This record gives sequence, structure tokens and C-alpha cells, in this order.
Amino acid sequence: MALRTMGVDLGSTTAKAVVVDEAGGIVAHRVVQMGAVSRRGVAAAIDAVLDDAGLERGDLGQVIATGYGRRLVPDVDRTFTEITCHARGVAAMCPGAALVIDIGGQDSKAIRVDEVGLVDDFAMNDRCASGTGRFFEVLARALECRLDDLDDLALAGGQDLEVSSMCATFAETEIISLLAEGEEPTDIAASVHRAVSARTLGLVSRVGRAAPVVMTGGVARSRAAVHFLAESLRAPVIVPAEPQISGAYGAALLGLESLQGETRVIGQAVDREHVHTGQQPNGRDCSTCSLGRAKYQPIDVELWTASIAADRRP
Amino acid sequence: MNAILDRLAEVAADPDRYVVEWKRTHPDRKVAGVLPMNFPEELLHAAGFLPVVIQENNEPDTEGRVILAEFYCGYTRNLADQAAKGRLKIYDAFFLADHCVQLLGAADVMRFKQPHTPIFFGQFIASMSEPSTPARVRGELDHIVAEVERSTGVPLDHGRLAESIRLYNRDRALLRAVFDARREGRVHLSSKAMQNLVKSSMVMDKAEHIALLEQLLSDGIESHDPHARVRLHLSGHFCHAPKQALLELFEDCGAEIVDDDLYHGRRYITTDVREDLEPVAALSQWYFDRNVNVPCPTRVQHNADWDTYLTKAVSESGADGVVILMAKFCEPHMLLYPELRKALEAREIPYLLVETEHAGLPMETLRTRVEALVERISRRAAVAAS
Ligand code: SF4
Repeated sequence: MALRTMGVDLGSTTAKAVVVDEAGGIVAHRVVQMGAVSRRGVAAAIDAVLDDAGLERGDLGQVIATGYGRRLVPDVDRTFTEITCHARGVAAMCPGAALVIDIGGQDSKAIRVDEVGLVDDFAMNDRCASGTGRFFEVLARALECRLDDLDDLALAGGQDLEVSSMCATFAETEIISLLAEGEEPTDIAASVHRAVSARTLGLVSRVGRAAPVVMTGGVARSRAAVHFLAESLRAPVIVPAEPQISGAYGAALLGLESLQGETRVIGQAVDREHVHTGQQPNGRDCSTCSLGRAKYQPIDVELWTASIAADRRP
Repeated sequence: MNAILDRLAEVAADPDRYVVEWKRTHPDRKVAGVLPMNFPEELLHAAGFLPVVIQENNEPDTEGRVILAEFYCGYTRNLADQAAKGRLKIYDAFFLADHCVQLLGAADVMRFKQPHTPIFFGQFIASMSEPSTPARVRGELDHIVAEVERSTGVPLDHGRLAESIRLYNRDRALLRAVFDARREGRVHLSSKAMQNLVKSSMVMDKAEHIALLEQLLSDGIESHDPHARVRLHLSGHFCHAPKQALLELFEDCGAEIVDDDLYHGRRYITTDVREDLEPVAALSQWYFDRNVNVPCPTRVQHNADWDTYLTKAVSESGADGVVILMAKFCEPHMLLYPELRKALEAREIPYLLVETEHAGLPMETLRTRVEALVERISRRAAVAAS
């Protein structure tokens, strides 16, 4: 039986599972959205990913859990924090990444990483949900729109309104008051995104700026969040095609490393400048980077936002 | 389990109970509540008091919660709460010699809530390097001596003061022996047990504490086998004890605490009072020596600073990283933190800042941050070794 390892990331609102092969290539992955730190969610993600991979639990060489609820995941070989796993996963997804900004449902973090995915420094939000997925849910509710519609709304906004409160609870009141003053929902959405990005910048300043920047987590799926973050960082922000699974992917890779006894950048890596010449920009041999089956296409936010500008809603 | 460690842990867990019991068995004696961090307890001991450093308690702040503003540190707000609930009535007098604004706020609340309990405030100058400082410190000590004499109604016996100094030095030396052994890897006591050693010393009758420590050292300390992956230095908290749940969390995350500069740690025991000087002059000198041995951010001294001390301590203990425990809203610490951070970064010493509060620490988030520090250090070491 070929070597397979699994990483399981039980976050505050989603459970993610990734199975990798002995070269670090992704065999299967799943993201399951469920209740807070849901045991049912994690079971569903694990069952689904094993099903997709055509494996039984006993076929796995290692199972590593990560995420806020990592200690609740049953039958694992060990746990790693999401800090370590996101750093590792991103190093494989986007080699050369120097700064990871991960924004999930309830927390956000900035991680400075070296070329093999070792953490140089990190900072996390404490207990305030500002700037996390939860915060955007509050914004959508106050603006009476679907979460999915928030991107178009924010990207259509022009005027920069003053949004002072970054507490999820008080921000709702402030947004309602801006609406009552007759401000445009587009401007409000854009301004809140700007304020959130400024907050994220505060997190980044705690670890020090570095580039290239990679954004992961559920919020990285929001075009507006990525756009405004890039704007406030004044730097392109790369988003892997599956930004939510970088933690689980990193966990699976760490499991693989613990069996293979080494740390190197492996996995389904693609980076923007990377041409598959057998050499990665960091000088490492990329014969193991599985580019032939590459799935992760980092997105240049400037190109991306330019392209979505065309189909902006009036 | 070690019966002596258990006894010290019991006193550390409930200092009020010890004080009440001590008063019951010493009906003619008085208990002095001392506020951190520089008051020379030896003076009070020589005057017949049981000096007790007033500890933060574990109760939630309720009645006194609103007396001090939200931006006072957890320790001072808890002192206000203890005063509001009448918990400080077990003390016959209060003494302090430090003028952190927040501590003064707490002292004001104590004065207001217990108007009949004398409170003596000696203000030691914070600027350590001025030519006039030694004379001013000595003047302040003479003032404190006069206040102590006023509270007892009898002149301070300098022979007894010399004896108290010897006793305190003995206690500090015994504690330092354990701390040094931990730093050198000869004993592996949990950081909770280490805190209990010092905290109980701040509360107990010194002779009783010394007897227990001597017994402990002659019996030998049965310590746990550390399977820790990384060695950490704990830095900060210069007025109150970090919560033991937090200390346990560090160890639970795979770290071993090998050294510290906490008030409830090395900071309290680091400096002896010279026995070759006239006793009051020696206490005056002690104030200066202390700030050289473990510099304090509440003092300004040209030739001693905490960041230099910290990096030196880390290299001496071989700690792999530092956890900075900062009481939220502790201004002196907040102001010095950028310097600490710069010094640690310049030497590539991994560190983690943990802001503490009286209640409601987000333990799971903290676990992630501490584990991430441990993983960061251990993964780097593993890669470097491969
Ligand atoms: S912890 Fe800081 S703010 Fe609080 S009393 Fe001590 S020095 Fe003052």
C-alpha cells in the first residue's frame, strides 16, 4: 500500500481534511461547514475525504490534527497548531511565500515564514472577532444582503466613510447609523472592508511586513477582502485556489515528514514566477513539487480585481 | 507527594487563611500588609510585625470592580475589590514604598475602605543614577523607620533589625539554591511549585519558612522527569503571581520553565541585604543592588537595564525562548516592551508576549500561541540538526 497521510483542521466554523501521497501531492480534500468546532463536521470531512481517496482510516501512515479544535479530533497520531500547519501548507502551495495572513471564521493571524515553511514569527487576534469571517457576517446582516453579495457591493464602493468601531457588536450599530444617515450601502461595505484591512495591517506590523504575501482561510475566498487587504498592504496578495485547506494540507505534510524524517518544500506547489525547470526560486530542487498535477493557481489580486471590475453590478 | 511542598502550596493558595491562623496563635502580634515591590520587609519583621505581601486573590472582582477604571492593571483592581469586600481587614497596617500610579490608586481605595487601618507610604526615588539619589533613599528609609516606630510606639532595635536581615538573607539564599538548581538542570520542579516556594515566603513567618526549606533541601526534592521539548524563560509580572493555570499550560504545551525574572520568582529573592553595613544603610544599599541584579522597568538607571539582563539570563540558562508575561495595562512594562522586543529580536531569541488579566484569560487561544512557540522552536532545532 502506497504511503498516505491525512491532515485534519477543525476550525471554529469549518472542518477540513486533506489526504496526501508520499510526494506530498493532494489525493483528496474536503471542506465541511458546520456548527462551532463541530465534532460531526470533522467526522463528515474525514469520511468524505477517505471516500474520495478510496482509503480506510487504517490505510493512513499518519493522521495529524490541527486548528482550534485539534484536541477534539479522535484517533490522531499528534497535533500541531494551525500556525505551524498554515506556514507549512503555504510553503508547499506557494513556495517563497514570506507572509501568511490567515483569516478564518473567528480568528485571524499573521505568520512570517521562511522558505521551508518554518515559522519565523506570528501574531493572532486575541478574542475579538473583528476582521474575521464573523465580522463580515455581521456586516452582511446589517446591510441586509447575502454574504456572497458583499464582495460586489464593497468593490463598487467609492467614498471612504469613517468607520471607527471595530468591535463586531458595535460595528453593527455604527453601520445602521450610517444607513440611517443615507450613506450608500456600497460605500459602507467598502469602508468597513478598509477598516478591517487596517486592523489586519496592525496584526502584520506585529510580525513585520514581508513579501510575497499569501492569504488563506475562508475570508480569502472573498474578492473584496483580498482586494482591500492588498490595497492597504500596497502589495499583491496571492490566494491559493483552495485557501481554506492550507492548514489541513500543512498538517498532512507534517505527518509525511515525520515518517520520512525531513523538512523540505514538497507538495503541489506553484508560484507565479515559477516555470517548471527543475529549480524553485529558493534554489531547491523541485522534482518533488508535482507541478504536472498542479492544482493550486495563486491569484494576483491586481489582475483579479481588474477582471472582476468588468462584471461589477451597477 | 512531598509534604513540605504541599504545605507551601497550601499557604500560597490561601494566604488569608495563613494570616488568620497566625493571628490566632500570636494574639499579641500584628500583621503588616505590604504592597510590592521594594518595601524592606526586614524593618517590619524587626519591629515585631508579620510582614505579608498582599496577593491577588482568585475571586472574581465584584463589589470593587467599578472603583478603579478599566485601564488599571488586574492586580490593583483586585486589591480594590479585596478592600471593598473587607478582605484586607486581616491586616493591622499597610506599607508601600513604590509609586506606580495604579498601585497608589489601589492604596487610596484601601485607605478609603479601611480608614482606621494606618497606611504608610514611603516613596523611593525611581531615578537611580542621580548624584543625590543615595541620600534621598537613605532619607526615605529613615522616614519609613520613623513611621514603623510610630506604629509600634517603640524605637526600632537595630540589633533585631540585623537579626531580621540575616533571617531574610537565609531564606533568599535557600530559595536561590533551588532556582539555581533548576536553571542548571539539577532539579525539575514545575513552575507552579517554584511559584509556591516564593509566594509562601512572601506570606509565612520567615523562621517557619526557612525551617521548611531546610527540611526540603535536606530531604531532597523528588522532581518530575521533564519530557519537555523546549526550555523557556518567563519574564515580567513584577507585582503579582501569574495564574497557576497559565504556568501549567506552558508545561502542558511541552515547555519546561528553566528560569524567570518574575516578582514571584527570581526578582524577589535575587538580592541579599549586606550584613557588613549598619542595618539601615544596608537596606538603603539593597534598594540599589536589587535593581542591578534584576533591573525593574519602574526604575531608571544608566548602567542597568532589563533588556540586557534578560538576554544575559537567557544565554546563561540556555533557554530556547522567552515568554513575556505582561499584566494588561501595566504602563511601565508596556513602555519598556519595545526595548525588550528589540533586544530579543537582535539576538534571534524567539519570544511570545502574553497579556494577563485578573479573570477571563482566553486559555484555548493562549494554548495555540504557546504551542506554536514550542513548535516553532522545536521544528527549527530539528531542521538545523538534520
Ligand atoms: S503590575 Fe504594573 S501597573 Fe500594576 S501595580 Fe505593578 S507596576 Fe503598577
